[in-house]
Amino acid sequence: MLAMVAVACVAGCSVEPQERRDAEIRARETGWRGIVLENPPPKPSFTLEDANGRPFEFQAETDGYTTFLFFGYTSCPDVCPVHMASLASVRRDLPTEQQRSMKVIFVTTDPERDTPERIRTWLANFDPDFIGLTGSKTVVDSIQLSLGLPPSIYEEPDENGFYIVGHASQVLAFSPDGSIRVIYPFGTRQSDWMHDIPKLAAAAN
Amino acid sequence: MGLQWWCSAQATPWSWSWRPYPGVWLFVLALAVAFVLVARGSGDAGQRRGWALAGLLTLWLALDWPIGALGGGYLSSVHMLQYLLIALLAPALLLMGVPDGAWDRLGGSRALPVLRLITHPLVTLAVFQVVLVWTHLPAVVDNLMATQTGSFLIDILWLMAGLLFWWPVIAPVPDRARFGPPMKMGYLFLATVLNTLPYAFLTFGETPFYGVFELAPPVGRISARQDQQVAGLLMKVGGGIILWTAITVLWFRWYNREDATGDRPVAPPI
Repeated sequence: MLAMVAVACVAGCSVEPQERRDAEIRARETGWRGIVLENPPPKPSFTLEDANGRPFEFQAETDGYTTFLFFGYTSCPDVCPVHMASLASVRRDLPTEQQRSMKVIFVTTDPERDTPERIRTWLANFDPDFIGLTGSKTVVDSIQLSLGLPPSIYEEPDENGFYIVGHASQVLAFSPDGSIRVIYPFGTRQSDWMHDIPKLAAAAN
Repeated sequence: MGLQWWCSAQATPWSWSWRPYPGVWLFVLALAVAFVLVARGSGDAGQRRGWALAGLLTLWLALDWPIGALGGGYLSSVHMLQYLLIALLAPALLLMGVPDGAWDRLGGSRALPVLRLITHPLVTLAVFQVVLVWTHLPAVVDNLMATQTGSFLIDILWLMAGLLFWWPVIAPVPDRARFGPPMKMGYLFLATVLNTLPYAFLTFGETPFYGVFELAPPVGRISARQDQQVAGLLMKVGGGIILWTAITVLWFRWYNREDATGDRPVAPPI
């Protein structure tokens, strides 16, 4: 029993998961748990349709807000719901003022299946204030490319017609003035968001 | 996804499609065979066989699909349910299922001095608490639950710590005349108090502690933090139910025995 505990201790106590180690190293070196881009390109300018069918001008609508931009799809079985649930949970715990100054933008990479209604219903499961956007695959792909993200890829449908969409798994965060851009890869924990969001919000001007 | 021998964290979406875990079956089968062999040479059976069977079934339920798979890498609350079944319920049932003849043989064995030492209530309570705390540390859970071997190790540690924990309360060997029912009740009560620390840690944490469950593909609508809060409550309430049931049984047995021997103090007439 003692031998087992010793073996388990070596296995469990000394080894931190890689993503935790990476986040902690980044936090020590840069003060951020996410990956801060040096000299980021200007905040992108694009217009897509929101879940109520209205045009949404990204640059204008997010100016002055701490903004989180994520490309995913509502049938996603793993990464998308985890990111959305994490951001929703963290947002709920922020002071009201910071909640109001934060926008989460979800852009579908699967416009065929993700109707505005479906996006609205899906996002409401996490936080009804999250904003869902849709546009043609060509337009969404070009936006992703302009942000340095790979365009989405549709896998072969299974016998039921269900298909997986390969897409970038990171969340892009922008400070209210757009001067700071931080990348949060999949594996970012709620504690990481809680650590960085106040810094990001305070980075205006 | 390939065949797994033991339940552990998977980076695949949860599915209610049944999956086999042959390592679990072999483990439970090996325990069952051990019980049969021990019982064969003991002569007695009856109710004890029923307890042993209940213990084995509890263990199998906790380790196999779906509880084992959900607790292995999807839901912290189900992981806690596993802990309750493997570390608290199954060991008590298994010890209650050991035939009298086996206890007699153990009482006459040369290992008795070692057994007396390692099953001393202070030792067993300390070991159980160390295992309880250590196997719920985030770094330990995140690392060990990621592999089948690590997950197996946690389950075995729980079972062994549980057997040790219940030993002074249930096992008649070694004889501890001074550790009577009141002491046993105090011992179990202390355990209910000691599990408050992990309970508070899980229930009142501001963010999810375990990456393995926080970043797992979601199951249903429960958020990672709600899941963790349910886990904490389950530890407190579920653990409390098991331990307080044992305390109640001990108290009534003690009361009835005192009553039968006439030692129970009688209230003076008003």
